[in-house]
Formats: sequence, structure tokens, C-alpha cells
Amino acid sequence: MNVRSITILLSSVLLSAGLVAEPLAVIVHPTNVAELSAEDVSRLYLGRGRTFSDGNSAIPINLAEGMPGRERFDERALNRSSAQLKAYWSKLVFTGKGTPPQEVDSFDEMLKLVATNPSIVGYVPAAAVDERVRVVLQLD
Amino acid sequence: MKKTLIATATGLLLMQPLAHANIDISGYASVIGGRVLSGSGVEAFDLPPTFLANYPLVGVYEKDWTFKPDTRFGLQFRANLMDGLSATAQVVARGADDFDARFEWAYLSYDLNENWTLQAGKKRLPLYYYSDFFDVGYAYLWIRPPADNYTWQIFNYTGINAQFNYFVGDWDISGNIYTGREDDQENKLLSQFFGSNPIREIWKDIIGGVINLNKDWLDIRLTYMTYINERYRTVGGVVERVTWGDSLTRRGKFAGISVNMDFGDWLLLSELNRLDLDGGKFDTYMVSAGYRIQAFTPYVSYADFDSENEKHSTTSLGLRWDFHSNAAFKIQYDDVKDKGVPGWEVAGDSKSISFGVDLVF
Repeated sequence: MNVRSITILLSSVLLSAGLVAEPLAVIVHPTNVAELSAEDVSRLYLGRGRTFSDGNSAIPINLAEGMPGRERFDERALNRSSAQLKAYWSKLVFTGKGTPPQEVDSFDEMLKLVATNPSIVGYVPAAAVDERVRVVLQLD
Repeated sequence: MKKTLIATATGLLLMQPLAHANIDISGYASVIGGRVLSGSGVEAFDLPPTFLANYPLVGVYEKDWTFKPDTRFGLQFRANLMDGLSATAQVVARGADDFDARFEWAYLSYDLNENWTLQAGKKRLPLYYYSDFFDVGYAYLWIRPPADNYTWQIFNYTGINAQFNYFVGDWDISGNIYTGREDDQENKLLSQFFGSNPIREIWKDIIGGVINLNKDWLDIRLTYMTYINERYRTVGGVVERVTWGDSLTRRGKFAGISVNMDFGDWLLLSELNRLDLDGGKFDTYMVSAGYRIQAFTPYVSYADFDSENEKHSTTSLGLRWDFHSNAAFKIQYDDVKDKGVPGWEVAGDSKSISFGVDLVF
């Protein structure tokens, strides 16, 4: 076994254990040509923005809490820990100022929703992306 | 409490929906215990060592352990009727009220467009920064927002509220304007703590506005509200109108600014407010700092109330521990100094400890 194959083996073990962070891809419907910056994504998922740059309404969808990728998305895209985000949303929810994004329980469900609705924004690990969706932003 | 909730839930299940609505149920709870370690009380009022932790609800700690003053449960029902229309109700049961569950929020909400939402019904009066989510302990740092600031006897209103949300040059600008009134038939703070006769407290012609400016780690909030105060006292079964000098009413004007910074692991919170009641000035301020070390956030806080006669401050030290994804444990030490002129003391000096758990679901 050479060094290279050990490295590959090691990284796949670490990846499956979630120890090496895999890039996340922010995805939209293939017919949606809107551009999204990291700032736009953050505003959508914090309930501050409600539209794409072209004015069409945008619906962000989150992975359920505890799903691989969710905590990473919270930290990378929103720059907050999951606990901070929960505190942020509880402030808005109980004062009538906002509702958090709907959640899904699997990457499959996320891909399916994004593939069927041009308004929806989602994210999955970059490796899970297929031709049904378009990547607008990659978060390393 | 339990009975009421079951009845409400059954009601929702049995109701034949006339329109298709998704009903979201969410909630929060805080279970907090504490006691006064030492305190002066106020001899002139026959008051034993006391820590008034919640003014409007009269949440009072004394020398024996108690879980009542700050413990509360809230359940929110939100019916989403689609196309921007929703109805929200929040039932709150508080230890300070012997867990007598009440509807504290009940309002309709309609999104006029992407920027404006119109609401009508019963809501919290958004005077201070934490007024709106005062009950949701999980959403803030301490066991409770500093008592010296949150002293006003009226905290809800019924009326109309228009809220807005804009994004202008890297700043998120949101806020609301509101109008309404509150008629509290037997105000708890005035009737039970600051007096012994039932007091009916009315705040009418309320008009107010709030502006929030957010950018990255900076959060600035400006607030203004004006109202007319009317008051009735029942003495020996006879209702009499309270007058101020020759006047049957008095005008209050409330203004405040709050600046908060959430920078890296540091959290700096501040609030400065003034209520002008027919020329009398009531000033409050608060400064707090916290430092996040993973799931732990130790904090310090100083809050102050200053007027011609009533003067008091609280220095607090505490720790928030986010031990669970839906819950936080908190422990806090409060040192209250009552510097009120004789006859205008609130509850005297006190040193207290309290701890407990806040959760949301």
C-alpha cells in the first residue's frame, strides 16, 4: 500500500466520520439564473431577505438539525453556532417578526424540492449534487 | 395550566377547519429557582429582605428558596392561512401568577408586500429592547433582563401595528409603528407592591415607533412612545379617580436607544432610556458584557434606575451554559443597591442567587 492510497483511504474514513469538512453547494432550480453571493445566502437564511436579485420570491430550505452538513452550513454560511441561531430565531418567532426556514430530513428530499420549484434555495454536500439542480455558490 | 392546555389542544383537533390552515405549535419555558442571601428589606414598609426580580409581574424572591418569581411556560399557536395571512396566539403561565394561564398575545398578521406587514390585536408593548421577548429566556444572556430597567407597570397593549423591513446600502433596517391602549382593571405592581388598594391603570392614545439598524456584528435600536395615563383607585369599595395636581390625566413620553455588539466571542449589550411623565424624569440604563467560551458564556451586567426620589441599581454576575441544542442552564448573582430617598425605597438592598433552565421547542 503506497502513501497515496493510504491518504485516500484515510480521507474517506475521515469524511464518512464527518471529521474532514466536505464543501457544501448552495443549489437552485436549473432554470433559475439568479446569482447569489455569500451575503445574499446569509440574509435569506436569517429571514432578512425574501427575494432573488431579479425580484422573484425566494424560499430557503434548511437541512434538519443534527443532519450532517447543517451545523457546518450554520457556521460557514451564517457565521453563527447552532445555539446562537436558535436564540436568534426564538426571538423572532415569539414576537411575530419571522419564521425560520422549513426543514427537510435528507439530501434526497432537498434535491427533489429544489429540482421541482424555481423559487427554492437549498444546499447539499458538493458530492451529492446532480444534474437536476444548479450550483450557485460553493462553501468550502 | 395542564387542563387549559389539553382543552385548547382538543379544541384545535376537533374544530372542523373552514379554510385550509397549517397550525404551528411552538413554545418556551424557564424554570428558575432562587433566594435572597442577605438583604436590608425596608423597615418603614415592614418589608423583609426582598429581591424584586420582575416589577410588572411582582416576581419576588425572599430568604426561602422559591421557584415561582421567574418560572414560566409559553405556548404559541400560529395558523398560517396562506397568501400572507396568519393568526397567532400565545398562552403564558407564570409562577408569579400561580401558573394561571392567560392569552398574552393574540393577533392577526397580514403581509401587505415584501416590505410591510400589518398586525392587529393584543401584543407586547415594545418599549425596551427586551420587552418583546422578555418571557423567552433562551433568547437572551441573563436569567432575566435587568429588573431596574424593566420597571413599568403596563407591558401589553391592544391595537394596530405596522412593521417594515428594508435593506439599504448594507444595512438591514426594520421596525414598526403602533397605536393602541391598555386598560388593566387591577394592576399588579401598583395594587399589590406599591400600594394596598386596587388600582385600575389605563394607558391610552398610545403611539410609538421602533427602528432597528443591523449590520454584521452591530445592532442599534431606537424607540419612542407617547401615551396618556389615567388611574382609578378603589378605597373601601368606592372607586375614586386619581389626580395629579389639578390634572385628571398625565402624558408620558418614552425614548430609548440600545446598542449591541456581537463581535467574535464578545457580546456587548447596552440600553439607555428616559420616561418623561409630565416633566418628571425617570432614567434607566444597562450595560452588559459576555464572553463565549464554546458552550459557556460568563457575563457581567450593571443596571440603574434614577429619578427624583426612586433610585436603585443592580450589579450581576452570571454564567450561561448551552448544554443542549434546545436548552441553556444559567446561574446568576445579583447585588441590588436601593438608594431611594426615605419613603421611596423599592425593596431595600439585597444579594441574591438564582439558577435554572431556559428552553425552546
